[in-house]
Amino acid sequence: MSAEEEENAAELKIGEEFLKAKCLMNCEVSLILDKKYEQLQNMSDDPLSQTSQVFEKSLQYVKRFSRYKNSETVKQVREVLSRNRLAEFELCVLGNLCPETVEEAIAMVPTIKSKGRFQDDDAIDKMLRDLSLIKKFE
Amino acid sequence: MFFHMVLERNMQLHPRYFGPHLHEKLTTKLVKDVEGTCSGKHGFVVAVTKVESIGKGLIREGTGFVTFPVKYQCVVFRPFRGEILEAVVTLVNKMGFFAEAGPVNIFVSNHLIPDDMEFQSGDIPNYTTSDGSVKIQKDSEVRLKIIGVRVDAAEIFCIGTIKDDFLGVINDPDATA
Repeated sequence: MSAEEEENAAELKIGEEFLKAKCLMNCEVSLILDKKYEQLQNMSDDPLSQTSQVFEKSLQYVKRFSRYKNSETVKQVREVLSRNRLAEFELCVLGNLCPETVEEAIAMVPTIKSKGRFQDDDAIDKMLRDLSLIKKFE
Repeated sequence: MFFHMVLERNMQLHPRYFGPHLHEKLTTKLVKDVEGTCSGKHGFVVAVTKVESIGKGLIREGTGFVTFPVKYQCVVFRPFRGEILEAVVTLVNKMGFFAEAGPVNIFVSNHLIPDDMEFQSGDIPNYTTSDGSVKIQKDSEVRLKIIGVRVDAAEIFCIGTIKDDFLGVINDPDATA
């Protein structure tokens, strides 16, 4: 596939390798990078000198744009979203953007309407409400 | 989007390191070589999480260096065309604005900013709606859609739009339509 031209996340055309890979939500990346940063702190006095700019920018970004903060809630979010037959990529976009209405969810992840995975809009709505309940009780 | 992937790399090691700490040395070298780099295929390697396996080393003809195939797990960031994500505005000018999503820079041209938003120059350049209710300036958080991805040597650059539904400035807790 001529990669750049055909690639389109809105149609889940992201390449075999990425479709099969584990996708991570910002909140999950935040936990991973925090742990790594802690390891660096234990090993050296100046952890920042050991990290690349890519690492620091990514850490700042996921901290700022994580909708869920603690590891228990993050696990719950993945569990709730996994109950539906979603691709990893779709699951993470929903977990990152937390759409509030069915209309918004379809705009963010157009492919959830395809392949008949949700019987109707109510099923999508239930998933979104379950998601927002987790946030409320965090 | 962030992914957790298993990648492979051939690492070359000088014979001076052949000793009890060979694997540690390879791991340190791997992390130094690979973290922070960017490739068109996998995007930015943010962090190596685990070295899965180090294969048998092969001595290279003529040099004495040994090549080890190393398999490692890592977190990568790879933006995709058509992906919708949130970013922080870093620069605003009359051509549009620049935003940052992790290690990636995204440019949104003024042609892809809703028509009812006008550029206002001044101390804090910004784009504002005619009734002043929505403003985009440095440090604003926006939700945008990536419409183009370009790979340049060791960097990925994107162009985006905020003209579609549900895109634009993020106003917690109400979403903007």
